[in-house]
Amino acid sequence: MLAKSEQEVGKFDALINGARIHGSLYRDPAIFQRELELIWYKVWVYLGHETEVPNAGDYVRRQIGLQPVVMLRGDDGEVRVFFNRCRHRGNLLCHRDRANVAKIVCPYHGWTYSRSGGLLEPTFEEGYDDNLSRDDFGLTPVPRVDSYRGLIFASVSAEGISLDEHLGGMKEYIDLFVDLSPAGEIEIRKGVQKLRYRGNWKFHPENSMEGDYHGPFIHRIAFELHSRATGLDMSSLHANEIPDVIRSLPGGHMVEDYRGATMAPPNRPPSPARLAYLEMMEARYGKEKTRQLTTTIPPLFYVFPNLIHIMTHVRRIQPVSVNETYIYYHPVFLKGVPDELNERRLRDHEFGFGPAGFIAPDDIEIMERNQIGVRSEGDDWQFIGRGMHRDKVLPNGASTGYTMDENHLRAFWQHYCKLMNGNGEA
Amino acid sequence: MADAAIEQFLYREARLMDEGKYREWLSLWTDDAIYWVPCSDDDTDPRRDVSLIYDNRERLVQRVDRLLSGTVLALDPRPLMRRVVSNIEIEADAGSDVTVASNFILAHARWDTQQIWAGRSLHKLRRDGATFKIVFKKVMLVNAEQEIPLLQFIV
Repeated sequence: MLAKSEQEVGKFDALINGARIHGSLYRDPAIFQRELELIWYKVWVYLGHETEVPNAGDYVRRQIGLQPVVMLRGDDGEVRVFFNRCRHRGNLLCHRDRANVAKIVCPYHGWTYSRSGGLLEPTFEEGYDDNLSRDDFGLTPVPRVDSYRGLIFASVSAEGISLDEHLGGMKEYIDLFVDLSPAGEIEIRKGVQKLRYRGNWKFHPENSMEGDYHGPFIHRIAFELHSRATGLDMSSLHANEIPDVIRSLPGGHMVEDYRGATMAPPNRPPSPARLAYLEMMEARYGKEKTRQLTTTIPPLFYVFPNLIHIMTHVRRIQPVSVNETYIYYHPVFLKGVPDELNERRLRDHEFGFGPAGFIAPDDIEIMERNQIGVRSEGDDWQFIGRGMHRDKVLPNGASTGYTMDENHLRAFWQHYCKLMNGNGEA
Repeated sequence: MADAAIEQFLYREARLMDEGKYREWLSLWTDDAIYWVPCSDDDTDPRRDVSLIYDNRERLVQRVDRLLSGTVLALDPRPLMRRVVSNIEIEADAGSDVTVASNFILAHARWDTQQIWAGRSLHKLRRDGATFKIVFKKVMLVNAEQEIPLLQFIV
């Protein structure tokens, strides 16, 4: 039991100590509240991909922390992010998950905004002072919006490091999966699988980048089914730990990279569609880069705090309360490839992911059980020390570890600790 | 009467799903099976946009193998389920194939929670002697567009 003074929110070094993580971090509502103030409302948060709003007037509703925002394509082609709130009396403006609108009209008193957020008319204008300027009542833009390869991030804080600085070395990993498209572009369509679980949001990134540590335990049947269908033996990755797979990058990011692992060749000859794809890839990237991109699994990655990429999709982590989280699984399609290959990706995605998949649900169930486990305070410390004796930190601040090491978790928590102490990335 | 036979078939399918008798449930399907649970309300093209479930026969077998493997965490403890199938309407009858719509409401009890799931099913059934085989089943969940808990059973 911590002494009362050490329990004060703000002294996070007492809760995050090298390889020891305190259980209260997952169950204390005051800590969740502080996370909103010092993480979600400070850093860059992933909102969506620009292909989710392809046409002028398209919008999607998203959240930054608990704050509703809307991502909207203007008539000028620009994608903007606004607080999703009427400037009159604060009503929810864009209420559908996604829609196309000619104008944004508040259902309450009819205040109307353009697709670029300017106020077109308050209703019953004669009731307002002539000096009232419409310019003062446009939709409030979220202060910082930026994108990389079409992935749009925003921050409700006007100050902070640039997106480029925040992503840092993660840009290289984003490139590795976007470059699977011979057009160098991905597409996220309207379909999305939405899931809720009774657990803290942080269990999710912790679980996401360790497929070969927990995989043989909780995903045993999925690996078995996959192996039967494809001839690929996933168990060999677990039996023989290899170095330089689990990485952290400065900024709280994490990577799981199997490009160094030997993969068995597929047990089927390539289809005509696949051959056409490889030809297009070679035309854009050349033979060697195409071979690299198409004969390995692109690295799995986590961009702090809420974006995950795993094979078939990108995933958004949405905190709801200290013990409830929503997860959105958005399959990623490749522009410029034969339809058949994108359809194959979709079927592969449905094998693993979403509430009815064969892989993700075992992770979700384990997180719900974890939330129950950490209610027990007998020895209120998690131990994330695997691989600590062989910790390798690189000159750029990244760390690299073996297949089942927990160096990435230690780095995630160090970054979290810095932010929660108020010594953030500003 | 034909309608009574269809009703009895749907009730039997419901009982097999409730009781986790998935191998027997699988034997109700043809080889050109499609089992589809969309995650949207509007008309999705399952070849272009994601679904919760879009299984051909091969995937359906994998699904059943997994549910019966004894290693699925979400099935330990085992959920207890019971559904009501009702509002049965014959939509089309082409002799060999009959299309039938029905509603269901399902109670699912596990841990400390009872969940209610509900929706409308569209079955395309192929006559097989005195009984039927399922060629196509689409389940339109009422909560298809919401953030839903794990769906680790058959609807």
